[in-house]
Amino acid sequence: MGTDRYAYQSRLRRVSPLPKLLLTAVAMLVCLCCDSIPVGLATLAAMGALVTALGGLSPRVFLHFLKIPLVFMVVGCLTMVVGSYPPGTPVLAALPVGGRLWGVTAEGLLLGGRIFCKALGAIGCMYFLALNTPVTDLTIALERLHVPRLMVELMELIYRFIFVLSDTAAHIRVAQESRLGYRGWRCSLTSLGALASMVFLRAWRKADRIYTALESRGYTGSLSTLTDSYRPGWGLLPLTALVAAGQVGIWLLERMAAA
Amino acid sequence: MKQTTVRTARAMALLIALLGLTTMSASAMHIAEGMLPVPWAIGWGAVCVPFVVAGFFAIKKKVEQAPRAKILLAMCGAFAFVLSALKIPSVSGSCSHPTGVGLGAILFGPLVMTVLGLIVLLFQALLLAHGGLTTLGANLFSMAIAGPILAWAVYQLLRRVKAPAAVAVFAAAALGDLFTYVVTSVQLGVVIGGMVKFLTIFAVTQIPLAIAEGLLTVVIFNVLEKYSRDELRQLAVL
Repeated sequence: MGTDRYAYQSRLRRVSPLPKLLLTAVAMLVCLCCDSIPVGLATLAAMGALVTALGGLSPRVFLHFLKIPLVFMVVGCLTMVVGSYPPGTPVLAALPVGGRLWGVTAEGLLLGGRIFCKALGAIGCMYFLALNTPVTDLTIALERLHVPRLMVELMELIYRFIFVLSDTAAHIRVAQESRLGYRGWRCSLTSLGALASMVFLRAWRKADRIYTALESRGYTGSLSTLTDSYRPGWGLLPLTALVAAGQVGIWLLERMAAA
Repeated sequence: MKQTTVRTARAMALLIALLGLTTMSASAMHIAEGMLPVPWAIGWGAVCVPFVVAGFFAIKKKVEQAPRAKILLAMCGAFAFVLSALKIPSVSGSCSHPTGVGLGAILFGPLVMTVLGLIVLLFQALLLAHGGLTTLGANLFSMAIAGPILAWAVYQLLRRVKAPAAVAVFAAAALGDLFTYVVTSVQLGVVIGGMVKFLTIFAVTQIPLAIAEGLLTVVIFNVLEKYSRDELRQLAVL
């Protein structure tokens, strides 16, 4: 599902999740704090290079994933950029509507561009984590960071059940579609309602059966699993420092150029 | 005669453009990664902490009373994820995803929803790139705290005054959905400015979707009431 499939194929899959988490967190934080166009773009480029060169993901797949959050960002930034101004404001492009100018000023464009590029950088960082670390590894990392045991267990169970339930939902959907269940709006709504409630019902009954199965195997209230053996991944630590230094360097250069 | 044709054509063009926007709303309910500045991202996270802690202890108590509840709650969380991945038919023929805010709040109560919402939103960010890690707090507040609490309150209130179940479910789901979007617009607007603009865009695209989600939730509820009274009764205890 989504990024998970590629995370399992990544070359960094066997590396301990903690250094990967650290790299993501540091790069994301620095990118957000710098709040500049070049740093955002550089972060995205660095993360793209790391995901493709270290993780072994094809650039095409990375670009495909990059497109997913783009719609929201474009809508959000356009909403910010386009505004109404009193007549006489220096604008780049505008239409006079009802005595006010509706359009884009240079300042607004710069602000929108800054937020857009900053968000792109942050998304790159998030993908470095998501495309190299399967969720099962991430839950182990969270446990090591002393997230409560119950929370981690809930996460593990939910992760597993997501696949079970979406399988069920996909089967029901195919069955409904082959019986023309999605012709027209009314029909779709009824079918979708039936689908959702049946998935809920099956989930409920399946949970019951799973619990019975667990109890018959000596379940005493916690699911314990063995962790995989990881490579320590010390090599990622200097890389983290390097990325952060690069980001700060670009930011300083930009400040100097502006001053 | 000719002028009316032109005017109709113009109106149609505008309508099509607006309806085109509805296709965007699929991912518009989650604030994307990196859209909020650091202080706001941390601030929204901090606002959510007490709710999540309260929800966590509520779940812990339930699990200690009945160990079976853990598996059931996990199934409910997975159900919320799958529900939000379904495509909901909208009036204009485009598709969006139900938020499941209303259904979750009615079935599981707002406290449990915060914790399940946290996990589901984290998975959506990592697996589907809906939302993000830095905007997790803001998204959690709008979709797993504010929306469900309102939906739950509306549902309880309408049931108290003996409104028919269908009306209560519809109102809870539709209003919960709308309120989620209002909170999201405010969250974006407060930071970046242009709250009114965000609200207008969302109002145009979201009101039909909220109605669709309300109707869908009523259909789901009718089926559940018919076939799984026992489970619903257990949920009230759960």
